[in-house]
Amino acid sequence: MATRMRLKLKTVFVLYFMVSLMGLIYALMQLGQRCDCTEHDMPKDRIISRLRGELHSLQEQTRKLEATKQPEKNPAAPFLPTIFVITPTYARLVQKAELTRLMQTFLHVPQLHWIVVEDSPRKTALVTDLLKKSGLVYTHLHFLTAKDRKLQEGDPSWLKPRGVEQRNEGLRWLREDRRAPPGEDGQQGVVYFADDDNTYSVQLFTEMRNTQRVSVWPVGLVGGMKYERPVVEGGKVVRFHTGWRPSRPFPMDMAGFAVSLRLVLTNPEACFDGEAPMGFLESSFLKGLVTMDELEPKADDCTKVLVWHTRTEKPKMKREDALQAQGLGSDPAVEV
Amino acid sequence: MPKRRDILAIVLIVLPWTLLITVWHQSAIAPLLAIHKDDGVEGKREAGGQAQDSKEYCASDKDIVEVVRTEYVYTRPPPWSDVLPTIHIITPTYSRPVQKAELTRLANTFLHVANLHWILVEDSQRRTPLVTRLLRETGLNYTHLNVETPRNYKLRGDTRDPRIPRGTMQRNLALRWLRETFNANSSQAGIVYFADDDNTYSLELFEEMRSTLKVSVWPVAFVGGLRYESPKVNAAGKVYGWKTVFDPHRPFAIDMAGFAINLRLILFKPQAYFKLRGVKGGYQESSLLRELVTLSDLEPKASNCTKILVWHTRTEKPVLVNEGKKGFTDPNVEI
Repeated sequence: MATRMRLKLKTVFVLYFMVSLMGLIYALMQLGQRCDCTEHDMPKDRIISRLRGELHSLQEQTRKLEATKQPEKNPAAPFLPTIFVITPTYARLVQKAELTRLMQTFLHVPQLHWIVVEDSPRKTALVTDLLKKSGLVYTHLHFLTAKDRKLQEGDPSWLKPRGVEQRNEGLRWLREDRRAPPGEDGQQGVVYFADDDNTYSVQLFTEMRNTQRVSVWPVGLVGGMKYERPVVEGGKVVRFHTGWRPSRPFPMDMAGFAVSLRLVLTNPEACFDGEAPMGFLESSFLKGLVTMDELEPKADDCTKVLVWHTRTEKPKMKREDALQAQGLGSDPAVEV
Repeated sequence: MPKRRDILAIVLIVLPWTLLITVWHQSAIAPLLAIHKDDGVEGKREAGGQAQDSKEYCASDKDIVEVVRTEYVYTRPPPWSDVLPTIHIITPTYSRPVQKAELTRLANTFLHVANLHWILVEDSQRRTPLVTRLLRETGLNYTHLNVETPRNYKLRGDTRDPRIPRGTMQRNLALRWLRETFNANSSQAGIVYFADDDNTYSLELFEEMRSTLKVSVWPVAFVGGLRYESPKVNAAGKVYGWKTVFDPHRPFAIDMAGFAINLRLILFKPQAYFKLRGVKGGYQESSLLRELVTLSDLEPKASNCTKILVWHTRTEKPVLVNEGKKGFTDPNVEI
């Protein structure tokens, strides 16, 4: 019985040894592969997006190997300050089209955070869906303009300032969300006010990204001229080239400047004054923030036009209106 | 006592095996379960964000939803694919103050579309440096052509011949270029689309048109004085009419932005062009399409023509009063 026991113990040891050896080999094999043990925890669309991202990076690599000479931007980009783009918008026929092409431009800009503020009592489904499908980093806000401040049908567009409350709401959110802990300097970032009918080149965002206080550049097709711009001498803005009321403190269009986030956060009272006389809206915001010689000129000392103040025609709806009167209007369920 | 040793021995044998099996079981079975659940539930993700990677949907106790994008977005066109048909976009353009702005935002749109070939035809005597430079800087795959619509010198001023609708000669030149460049027998799959430079295009539109066999059609917003015009599609998925107010009895009551043609059809019918003169308003599209297809051949897209994927926006002419007679601004600055 003793020998049988010893034999048994020996086999036990041998077996133990074999098992641990197999376990070791198994573990070594696992080391070689990536640990995907968290995969079953991820929701399915994360897996899909990750796979798509991998597919794309593989495609990029093969393209690189095909001897392209284009300089590559490092995917793991060095720290880029975020550009916060505040866009007031309101419901009208061309709204979806405008936001669509705006979104298509913004998709080309890395580290961009789009703050869309609707002039409406609640968030509309049209904008909600558009933002969700866009693939952009966004914040969706809304703020209804008071009736007496709102332009009525038939009012000329210059009668009352537009988008004031919405831009202020965007600033309010920014100040609340990006509030710096006490003692700290605040985050790096740039704030830009982009109306939804203008045209922006991708280059513009590259120019504004390293704004320290307030940076400025020319704007095309505004002020009744081909372009308006700050005049730069010796690297500093000395005056403004504009065809209309050049005596304003900052005779610029909303699209012609960007403010650093730090400046916005450290001046919590600075906002747009809806009561300001026509054309002084931008000045009402900037005059508390910066003086003219502190302005940073961009776009090659303000000689290149990288943004255009385009306006979209109101589509003619004569026939639609006639049909509606007969009760035969187009299907309202089809979103335009 | 031997019994206890026996038991000890048995335990020592069994224990590592059970440990091994449980660990292996866990790591092997669970992902299989997860994948099995995923199969067939994959939502249709938009083609719009090709390199995007949505990370988190912060379900809201907050009123504000953020989608965090993790992947880097490129500013060059997507890599050329060997399997996707090429979309040849024909855009006539002409010089005016908003031209550069229009072409810029058009380029920003096209940079998202894979296998896109932009054929830009200027209405000018020679190719302008503005357009040449713009095309080169975008990095798009392009062809730059030009042909000048003859002026009508009899009328006062520098107006073009009013009998030729705008853009016709330019589109015809592009069609001729396609026919000269591509062999009818070649296997190059392609789709031809006429895109004016002031319209707005969604990215889904280009994916819808990519599967065109002959001619595909879809609704267009803001044309014909309506919210949108669209083809009428019956239950069998065939086009049988046009939902328009303005002359719905035209052979093809559709806007230039509302259809796309397979390249093979263009090459197969080399005589088909837009009619230059004597075309009634709104009949331009018909002048080309009636030589290519019949109504029953049309393929309705955009969910059987129920979704709007293209808008016929028009840009206001900018008011340049302050330029004055001599021009206030420096003409060397390009706008």
